[in-house]
Amino acid sequence: MSRLFPVNFPPFRLVLVAAVAVCASANSAFAAEAGTQTLGFVIRDWFTSVYNSKFLDECPEGLATSNDELWWRGLSKEARAKATNNGLLQQLTRMPVAMRRGPNGENVCLNPTSVVDPPMRVIEGKYSFGANLDGESEGDATAKSCAHDNFVHPDGTPGVDNQLYRLVGCVYGWRKGGLPDLNAHEGRGTSGLGMTLIEITGVTDPRNSDNVTITFYRSVDQFAFDGTGKPLPYSSYNIDMENGQPRYSDTLKGAIKDGVLTTERGDVRLPFYGNYHFMHPVIKDMGLRMEISPDGATASGQITGYYNMDAFLHYVGGMVGHTSTADDCPAMYVAAHELADGYPDPETGQCTHLSSAFDVKAYAAFVIHPDKQTASADQR
Amino acid sequence: MRKSIFHMIAAVAAAISLSACDGPREPEATGGPPAMRRLSNDQYRNIIADVFGPQITVAGQADSLKRSEGMLAVGAQTAEITPSGFEKFYGMAKSIAAQVVSESNRAVTFPCEPKDAVGADDACARTFFAGAGRLLYRRPLAQDELTLAVETARRAAESSGDFYRGVAVSLANMLVAPQFLFITDEVEPDPAAAGLVRLTGFAKAARLSFFLWNTTPDDALLRAAESGDLHTQKGVSAQVERMMASHRLEAGVRAFFEDFLHFEQFETLEKDTIIYPAFTVKVVEDSKEQLLRTVVSLLLDRKQDYREIFTTRDTFVTGSLARVYRVPTSRPSGEAWVPYRFPDNDPRAGIITQIGFAAVASHPGRSSPTLRGRAIRENLLCQKVPDPPGDVDFSLFESADALKKTARERLTIHRTAPACAGCHKITDPIGLGLENLDGLGQLRTTENEAVIDPSGDLDGVEFSNAADLGKALHDNPAATSCVVGRLASYALGRSSNEERNYVQYLEESFASDGYRFPDLMRRIATGDALFAVTPAPTQLVSAQSSTPEMERSP
Repeated sequence: MSRLFPVNFPPFRLVLVAAVAVCASANSAFAAEAGTQTLGFVIRDWFTSVYNSKFLDECPEGLATSNDELWWRGLSKEARAKATNNGLLQQLTRMPVAMRRGPNGENVCLNPTSVVDPPMRVIEGKYSFGANLDGESEGDATAKSCAHDNFVHPDGTPGVDNQLYRLVGCVYGWRKGGLPDLNAHEGRGTSGLGMTLIEITGVTDPRNSDNVTITFYRSVDQFAFDGTGKPLPYSSYNIDMENGQPRYSDTLKGAIKDGVLTTERGDVRLPFYGNYHFMHPVIKDMGLRMEISPDGATASGQITGYYNMDAFLHYVGGMVGHTSTADDCPAMYVAAHELADGYPDPETGQCTHLSSAFDVKAYAAFVIHPDKQTASADQR
Repeated sequence: MRKSIFHMIAAVAAAISLSACDGPREPEATGGPPAMRRLSNDQYRNIIADVFGPQITVAGQADSLKRSEGMLAVGAQTAEITPSGFEKFYGMAKSIAAQVVSESNRAVTFPCEPKDAVGADDACARTFFAGAGRLLYRRPLAQDELTLAVETARRAAESSGDFYRGVAVSLANMLVAPQFLFITDEVEPDPAAAGLVRLTGFAKAARLSFFLWNTTPDDALLRAAESGDLHTQKGVSAQVERMMASHRLEAGVRAFFEDFLHFEQFETLEKDTIIYPAFTVKVVEDSKEQLLRTVVSLLLDRKQDYREIFTTRDTFVTGSLARVYRVPTSRPSGEAWVPYRFPDNDPRAGIITQIGFAAVASHPGRSSPTLRGRAIRENLLCQKVPDPPGDVDFSLFESADALKKTARERLTIHRTAPACAGCHKITDPIGLGLENLDGLGQLRTTENEAVIDPSGDLDGVEFSNAADLGKALHDNPAATSCVVGRLASYALGRSSNEERNYVQYLEESFASDGYRFPDLMRRIATGDALFAVTPAPTQLVSAQSSTPEMERSP
């Protein structure tokens, strides 16, 4: 007969020993160093933070012109009939054709410099979510930033840097509820890809801890959802390992005050998956501010930092569905280079990063360290 | 040196021998009347898998057995097959027979090949039915039974032009025959006691097999029955030891605990997923399996004290269960089971804190100290809790009162209203000990923002939380006498309530064996009571007919 336990039945020792704290507070905390706990979260929601006014005030000339529209405008009546099989092919199906409007039939999203499009309409409004990344409130250049207009946070805080919002905020698909983020969100939910784990160690009190360490890992375990499609909190996620080490494990220092986690800034490489793209951008000067719910089951907040411009353009260029999102890749390419405000290239002076902000929501999770657990799974 | 070792061994052997002699002695067996017991769904499935292979799918379910004296196994002896119940059996039988004769299974299920597959072949059919029938009927087929099976197969083969179809028709008939569907206590004259009867060797084999393995006797057991070995203590002991060493013993232990723990309640387990988002069908299935894995690991694999089922912190979880318990697991998805040990300071310990108990004995949207207390009393302590009176005024405790935040406050009326107090005083103080577990079995410290007080008492023993309640159960003598009585009933197929001396002997044996469950099974399997039968009714009539009283009867 098979034995369910090893002979000496070693205790199921995980780095997360959550149940200890669960008894007391139903938090996903666990005994770590003496007198401290560890909290774990998995990020479910990751949406580009955009400020949409009720009457589109931030885009006074209207939304940006789409690639499809430009292509359509450039066609003669005969060419339109030919391209659409005499009108039978509708938008989505003619999309691949629309993108091939380069002078030699190039895909203009993969070759954004092959054509010169009219300038892209970008955000002209005053307000934006985000943070002051360069410490400068007037928009002047600093050692790590190019001159740019600053926003005011809706709460009145000046000096907000968010050039990614300025770039995409007038593009139909990138506004709140738009397709690129939503499709990426759905893809992460069902694939187990792009799973970011947040582990907070050194917690003396889940609501108030002066000195905690926040580590960002990747998991390849999928979400477990409830019947309404929300992730079930307190699920376990194994850290993705490579040669015995976590594949992603950048850390930041931070503190929890009245249930709000705020990190210091630092460069963090995060896993990203969306719209059939894998990316692992390093977000420079990244900071996380996250409000943990009183029961510890969820946390919501914002990630801010400098996003690599080339990585973003690569993501947009390779995305399918431009007809639905109304991107115009050549115009966006030009605008991105004009708006990039972070980390100037030492030789050219061209800034290489876009200040950015992302709204995140995370669920309490057990972050499992496969290298430190001793229990063996019984697979009988 | 060699001599001293020899002396030491001899002394140990003598001590063991003496100890055995000093142990409890089985009282003279009372026995019960010969009975017929309908196969349970699990037994039916196990037999089909054992006889024809696990590749045969049993599609459908027979009518559920009715619980009697706390056990379905006892209710099985009064089970009847209704016309609609027969249709279910016949549907299952036809499906099984079709699979058995299917081309893909013949190599496994048939011991011979017909000379001509487009017609009848009595020789091959006879070989098939003699072999399969022996296992299905749990004895060799009588000559007329075998002849009927072969003739039926022949007629059907001739009319269909297909040997295998003929066999399928006859096999389907066999699978709905009473000889298969009912485990029958066949008796024969007892050569050691003139005028009395004993179980036949095959009937004894069936008792042993269904008790220890929950399936039909295997070939070795049937051969022991044929040879008369099962009429000797030595022969029985040899077979019992063989069976207890088999991996199949786990199936027997599982079957008993499924009955003992009222697993049929899982069939109707529902939860409001708005309140309990983590509840899924998989949680239901896994929570059943968790209870069984916990019990099997503790009692069978590690041979621990039975009472530890109320205190053990060792269990197994899947990802689905881990999410409900809010504990980590290295295998969050899929079907994998991972050992898990609740920490020492966790109020969860023992099977009463598992989802399979706490959620089942709850309402769909909230916990129920009353249901939990009743389940502990009735299922684990074998104490009858009266049903509520028909004229109970439910408005007394169903009125919405925002001030009453916890179940303890809400149930105060239970314990104070005279019409309720009589029963609720014996259930609620126990069930309140599990209030740190919500209606799904998830840990909580508050209810409606009020701190839960999980203290209580069990028969005068005070406890402070669920784990403490488990300790109180561990030490409660009713817990061990309950499982002993129920296991005896399960093995005998009738209530053991009337056989107090026998049960008392088993209780004492259980204690002297350190409450090791397999030892208790062995005591029952090798004891006289398992096979004891009282004279058949016809014998009673004939014996009493000579008495003056009977003669005076009209």
